[in-house]
Amino acid sequence: MLLINRRKFLREGAMAGTAIAAATVLPFEATAAVTRQITILHTNDVHSRLDPFPMDGSRNQGLGGVAARAALINEIRNEADQVLLLDAGDIFQGTPYFNTYKGEPEIKAMTMMGYDAATMGNHDFDSGLENFALQLQHARFPILVCNYDFTATPMESMFQPYKIFQKGELKIGVLGVGIELKGLVPDNLYGKTVYLNPIEKANQTAELLRKKGCDMVICLSHLGDKYEDDTLSDEILAKESFDLDLIIGGHTHRFFTEPRKYRNRNGGEVVVNQVGWAGIQLGRLDYNFTGFRKKSLSNAHTVVIRKKTRE
Amino acid sequence: MRRNSPYTLLIIFFAVSCGTSYQATTLTYEGYRIEKSAAADSSLVKMLQPYAATLNITMNKVIGFSNSNLFAKQPESGLGNFMADAIKLMAEKKFGKKVDAGFVNQGGIRSYISKGNITVGKIFELMPFDNLVVLQELKGSILQQFLDKTAADGGWPVSVGVTMGIKNKKAIQVQIGGKAIDPEATYIIANSDYVANGGSDCEMLRRIPKQDKGYLMRDALIDYVTTFTKQGIPVDYTIENRVVYVVD
Repeated sequence: MLLINRRKFLREGAMAGTAIAAATVLPFEATAAVTRQITILHTNDVHSRLDPFPMDGSRNQGLGGVAARAALINEIRNEADQVLLLDAGDIFQGTPYFNTYKGEPEIKAMTMMGYDAATMGNHDFDSGLENFALQLQHARFPILVCNYDFTATPMESMFQPYKIFQKGELKIGVLGVGIELKGLVPDNLYGKTVYLNPIEKANQTAELLRKKGCDMVICLSHLGDKYEDDTLSDEILAKESFDLDLIIGGHTHRFFTEPRKYRNRNGGEVVVNQVGWAGIQLGRLDYNFTGFRKKSLSNAHTVVIRKKTRE
Repeated sequence: MRRNSPYTLLIIFFAVSCGTSYQATTLTYEGYRIEKSAAADSSLVKMLQPYAATLNITMNKVIGFSNSNLFAKQPESGLGNFMADAIKLMAEKKFGKKVDAGFVNQGGIRSYISKGNITVGKIFELMPFDNLVVLQELKGSILQQFLDKTAADGGWPVSVGVTMGIKNKKAIQVQIGGKAIDPEATYIIANSDYVANGGSDCEMLRRIPKQDKGYLMRDALIDYVTTFTKQGIPVDYTIENRVVYVVD
């Protein structure tokens, strides 16, 4: 008995020694290939496009529509293990639905599709903050934005800077950033909303999410992907960030052919994606996670990106 | 046995402090186009139905006919010319005075007009914002600053009688009503209240007094289409070198 126990101790001791050596020499060495998956589905700038584009011979005829999107989302939910459904803002404005119903069917549709979170775009201010807050009574998902100070506005108790989603064993932190309002949104529509520096607020919030043990930090952004001048963009945010893994973008209505990769200030990779506008596309990002011993986690990690092959 | 206890402690230490943590290692992406042929979710169809039914009564009303497909393009487009003329001509009617130029914020053109019937809903999509038509009286020098801003953007729609070139992001050879712009002269321009209030970075217009009659840009467009229909003619617009890029 004693001998067996002693052998067991020695064997485990040797294994622990190997792990130490692996952690020292190969910081990326995984613990026996423990993998976890999450599927991120995303939209941006849907602009009240509840019905598909009309069949009028135009480029986008027949595309989009919440009923078809909902069916696709349900299909993906049936095959994927863990799903997060996110939107990067400008839910409102663009079809007569919004002029007539002020956003009620848009929010109801998102709730029915099971959106997990959205951020605010500049056009979500279009019928005033009071109306936006009012329409959120139909929402069963939070509005995430960490760089607008909504104190003393109707949004004061209707938003949160971030939310942590426990998806199986994965802890995913999601935060949101909004665009500069002055010169873009009429003063009377944003009222007392104070715009704060998105880079500073996103970095502070992301750091907090890491400290809370998030395995991944996602930023929903309505800044726009990039500009010819030095206007703040997702590209700049990605390069100036420390703890962001993924930026789901919007505002510039860009259809990315593939997600873009940037190096953050820790040397780690940040992925940015955007899927045009009007719900013409649904973006899908399937992340594979590998389990590591905590001490061997590196900030400068690399993510291998490839296009999904159609079955 | 005693000799083994440090090992035991080491193992316990590992189990507690070095648990598994996850890091993203691979990413597979896909962009699904939402096609008409795709299955539709019946609960969403059902939710939308009552909203759509009421809406369609107003929005499907035909108010005119377009002879061509009109899209927003820069520096100039048939669609832009149609809209800028609507703002200028309808403002003149509404305010009862001569307007030197009408403008439309390029970024505010949210849709297109396809060849065929023009419905109320189409105009709502073209101009979904509840922006008002406003008049401002300003010096030629301020108007030049505004036109420079539109030039830097790649060109905004201008009404009939205005011509300009764009070179190095500036407006050059500007003509208003057939005459070269005079920095000292006073002009009356029609714009949306959004732009006149400094939107789209038009800070130069913000402090200039505005006249407004609660007349929506969208209503000006609907009224303009109706003027064609009343005459029994279709809307027929194309480019006519109002705004051109100038190269050396």
